[in-house]
Amino acid sequence: MSRSDDEPDELHAWRVLSDAGLVEIGPDEFAERIKDVKRIVTVRLRELLDFNTGVQERESAAYSLGTLKGLELKVLASAPKPPDSSKV
Amino acid sequence: MMKSTAKELRTAANWPPEEGQVVSLKSSIASETAILKEVRWGLVWRDFILEDGRVIPEHRIAGCPQPQAWRKVSEVTDQEREECEERLLSMAGAGMDPRKRDQSFWAELNQYLAYTYLRFKPTRAKVQDTER
Repeated sequence: MSRSDDEPDELHAWRVLSDAGLVEIGPDEFAERIKDVKRIVTVRLRELLDFNTGVQERESAAYSLGTLKGLELKVLASAPKPPDSSKV
Repeated sequence: MMKSTAKELRTAANWPPEEGQVVSLKSSIASETAILKEVRWGLVWRDFILEDGRVIPEHRIAGCPQPQAWRKVSEVTDQEREECEERLLSMAGAGMDPRKRDQSFWAELNQYLAYTYLRFKPTRAKVQDTER
């Protein structure tokens, strides 16, 4: 995705989040969106570990990853169960 | 009365509307009007809390100036982020369902995911920082 220099920050952020499906998350999309964000955080954390830099950001990324994992588990646990096809 | 209030709200100079004002919005069901209880900054955008408890992101309120004001990732303090993470885990632990659109858990989780994505998404600036 390219960005023109005269594009306001807000518009750029809006476009980035819209493309990622993160402006208004649909009720059934949370598990998938959490996975997407986890992937982004994991990549960044790996970069920080590889370069052995940004200790504070590393800690914060690791913490965010833990939070996302916890939220993912709760969201998955409360997901509506698909209809049992064996009863049809 | 309601018509003039709605018209007044369409000017950026009067934005955001004040507590107790009637706002027009697109809810998850239809367009409607409701009484505004509070305007609150989230990690990225402003949420409009209505008197009935629903939480509506600013871009769904009629008359919202464009581009709407968003916070930069760097404006969010560590403490604010940590408090948000605690609240989210607490809401999840209490069995609240994020699928309930326009409710506080849905709104806060939405903003947290947006903020976290913007924060850790690779950018040219970050690559340059890493290379230094």
